[in-house]
Amino acid sequence: MALTIESSRFGRVEIEPTAVIEFPEGLIGLGGSRYTLLASGPDTPFLWLQSLDDPALALPVTNPHRFFADFAVEVVDEDAERLGLDAASAMDVYVTVTAAPVLEDFTANLKAPILVRAGQAWQVINQSPGSEVRVPLFAGSETNGAPSDGGEC
Amino acid sequence: MLRISRRAGERIMLGDETVIEVLEVRGQTVRLGIDAPRAVPVYREEIWLEVKRENQAAAEAAATAELPNVGGRLGS
Repeated sequence: MALTIESSRFGRVEIEPTAVIEFPEGLIGLGGSRYTLLASGPDTPFLWLQSLDDPALALPVTNPHRFFADFAVEVVDEDAERLGLDAASAMDVYVTVTAAPVLEDFTANLKAPILVRAGQAWQVINQSPGSEVRVPLFAGSETNGAPSDGGEC
Repeated sequence: MLRISRRAGERIMLGDETVIEVLEVRGQTVRLGIDAPRAVPVYREEIWLEVKRENQAAAEAAATAELPNVGGRLGS
């Protein structure tokens, strides 16, 4: 049965059970255990990570590979073990986006990517060098190579 | 806040399963060993706080700013 939420941004939205993403640990510091991904438009690289517990909570996310050609996720052994990560397990990866009035000030949080697999997701601390919390999304994007559509890390 | 004095080699139990051990005390630095259940993530506070603030900032900025349609602009 579809779940209906009254999202502050989107109004009434029906969520199919298969579109529900469980966050066993919530988002870091924000909590919430169930979210879903909503498209933000037909021709944009952004999605909305909409909380199903708090209709007012939604964060823009994007596929980091689309903006950062050399983006990589490295986690400590304890995290890899907790998430059941191994070289063979493909996960979708998203990063949160902090929007701003002008494009040049948009930033992505490369330090805490969100890994999604089979309806479950975790926000992890990225140990990969240069993975900062506020990396400009558009400054220099022309030097980052062609955007790719793959969402796997 | 509960205050407990410990020497190197001594431990604190948080419940039955989480163990924090003082491994070494040298000058201003204390090295701790943490043994927590698999389901419990462990963060350095400053990193946890940095990410928490950015999550909040992303949620708050999104409430007012519009997301651009930049899909075409990024294509090469």
